[in-house]
Amino acid sequence: MRPARPLAALFALLLLGAAAARAQEVPAAGQEDLRCLGCHGKPGFKKVLSSGQVLDLFVDPTFLRLSSHKERRCVECHADVNEVPHKERPQRVNCRRCHYEGNTAGAPQGERYLDFENSVHGKALKAGNTKAPVCQDCHGDHNILPGDNGRSNVAHAHVPQVCGACHLQVYAQYRESVHGKALARGVKDVPVCTDCHGEHTIARPEETSSSVNAGNVSNTCARCHSKVAIMEKYGVKAEQVATYQESFHGIANEFGVLKAANCSSCHTAHEILPEDDPRSTVAAANIPGTCGRCHPGANANFAKGRIHLNPKDRSAGVVYWVSLGFKVLTIGTLAGLFVHILMDLYRQMKGRRRAEGGAGPAGETP
Amino acid sequence: MTTTDGGWRREDAEFVAGEVAARVAEALGNAVPEGLDAAEAARLKARLIEVLPAEAAGDARRVCRRFADERERAAKAEARARRRREHHEKGVERLTLHLRIQHMVLFASCVLLIVTGLPIKFYDVGVFSWIAHVAGRGVLHNLHMLGALGLTAIAAYHLFYTALSENGRRDFGLLIMRPQDAKDAFRQILYFLGFKKERPLYGRFSYVEKFDYWAVYWGMVVMLGSGYILWSYVPDSTIGGLLPKLPKSVFDISREAHSDEALLATLAIVVWHFYNVHFNPKRFPGSLTWWHGKITVEEFKDEHPLEFEEWRTAGRTSEDDEPVEKVLAPLAGRRPGGDR
Repeated sequence: MRPARPLAALFALLLLGAAAARAQEVPAAGQEDLRCLGCHGKPGFKKVLSSGQVLDLFVDPTFLRLSSHKERRCVECHADVNEVPHKERPQRVNCRRCHYEGNTAGAPQGERYLDFENSVHGKALKAGNTKAPVCQDCHGDHNILPGDNGRSNVAHAHVPQVCGACHLQVYAQYRESVHGKALARGVKDVPVCTDCHGEHTIARPEETSSSVNAGNVSNTCARCHSKVAIMEKYGVKAEQVATYQESFHGIANEFGVLKAANCSSCHTAHEILPEDDPRSTVAAANIPGTCGRCHPGANANFAKGRIHLNPKDRSAGVVYWVSLGFKVLTIGTLAGLFVHILMDLYRQMKGRRRAEGGAGPAGETP
Repeated sequence: MTTTDGGWRREDAEFVAGEVAARVAEALGNAVPEGLDAAEAARLKARLIEVLPAEAAGDARRVCRRFADERERAAKAEARARRRREHHEKGVERLTLHLRIQHMVLFASCVLLIVTGLPIKFYDVGVFSWIAHVAGRGVLHNLHMLGALGLTAIAAYHLFYTALSENGRRDFGLLIMRPQDAKDAFRQILYFLGFKKERPLYGRFSYVEKFDYWAVYWGMVVMLGSGYILWSYVPDSTIGGLLPKLPKSVFDISREAHSDEALLATLAIVVWHFYNVHFNPKRFPGSLTWWHGKITVEEFKDEHPLEFEEWRTAGRTSEDDEPVEKVLAPLAGRRPGGDR
């Protein structure tokens, strides 16, 4: 177990000796916290506000003991609590007290907080939106755990619920989608909100930096969908990425024509469903409507044919044979014409030599 | 035998040296310059006679070489001027104004379509990728569609021309492939390889010209047909919006065919057509028939002897033409023109 090094470091500054500091480790942590838990540790501890709202103020000591912050004392985070019991309602905890690049408190190093400030959530917070989430809204408070711990709020499998707490409608759509259902089955490869939208860098789709911006969506999807090792497990073709990139839509998109369709233009962002599901936007019956969102006059003919088509694959049917036919025709024709030219030149050269020798006219083309 | 060296012959050099020696001897005479005794003067004289002709011969050699070069240049210029005169004055009209306009619009459209089409097709390859990014996808597409309208216009023009014009109908009939063309091609190849002394005799159109015509015909049908099907799928397009939306599978076939036939046509033009009108040693650096429509009488007799014979029998040749019988000697027993 790690000793309470941040505090040790503070003492080290005073005592100018790490060994001496270690001797001063803080065994008092528990005692002080016990005073807090004297009230907050009682199940059912709550306060009824004048508005009638009930605040559940119970803090389960079990969560505390299991959390990443088990060595932290209550007042290290709730720094505005100066006396116990406190008279005022404490402010929200500011995680940035420890979580910044270069901190000596033992918190992970990094500038996540700066990323957050530039994110859609950070900007909303700055603009005064009191509903904008801060760290603890996603990461949890007393139960905080690193993301790779399966019990963490921000563990892969829990992310949709965490985001869904605010984005309820999107969560409902996602849960019904092919990704959401796979997640419910316990599939690890499946993308959750943050896999596409990013975590601390999350930005509005209108922003060019966003991973779900129209210019970036196809690359974001391709992070998984171009990987054969992942896709073959679920019977999805990894070549769908390449066939999109070589389609008119993919090429136009690459050239910055963002009105050209990207993956989500047809498959949607959150309601992605397989084509055999009648609710799917790419179900044969719905294709004219889906295409019609951009192509006025799209009719049933738009559904008559494959969308992700690889002309070099036999499964492309007629297109494959047309492609092959033209290859043979082109090589055959060009070879024939080239040989004809060479024979003509050969004859002209021979004719010229003979003419110089004083006999016969030079060879000519017809 | 004489040996030549840049237009300079050895006899000329010997002649110049002899002349110079004689002149030096004459100029010096028997006079003895002041301050020299006779023996010394004689030695000097001998030395001068020895040295001066050699230098003079060197100079003469250089002058002769320059004259020879100038003569050669003048002869080339004269030959060029003669060919031009022949084309303009004595030439035979092979392409009427109708055909010249059709060819010019066709090649202007094709150049525009190829220049914009290649960066569209090879958007991720080298210089085409660069063009595509500099010009931008929208500009390339708009110019490509402009080219397509030019090609459409010329296709319509040509269809009306072949249907309504007498020349057009006649030429169209003569352009139809016949078994004779296969025989001609075979014999032409034997001639190329030296198995035959004489080339086959061609009428108004040889098998090469017929191949060119039908290759363009096929290309126009494929490119315009598939192109308009692609166009019909372009959203926010006025012309595309008017076109019927065919099944997606037809669109996919069109896209493949459009891209592939475009490459075939481009390569055929660059390799085959450019050889025939530019890089063939007889034509280099390029024939101007597309501009003035004419070929020389010599070319006419040489490349289209059967048609020339038709002209002659129809009284369409002037009297100072060479005797056509000589040109047409190997014709014996064959019906001139006729069903070719």
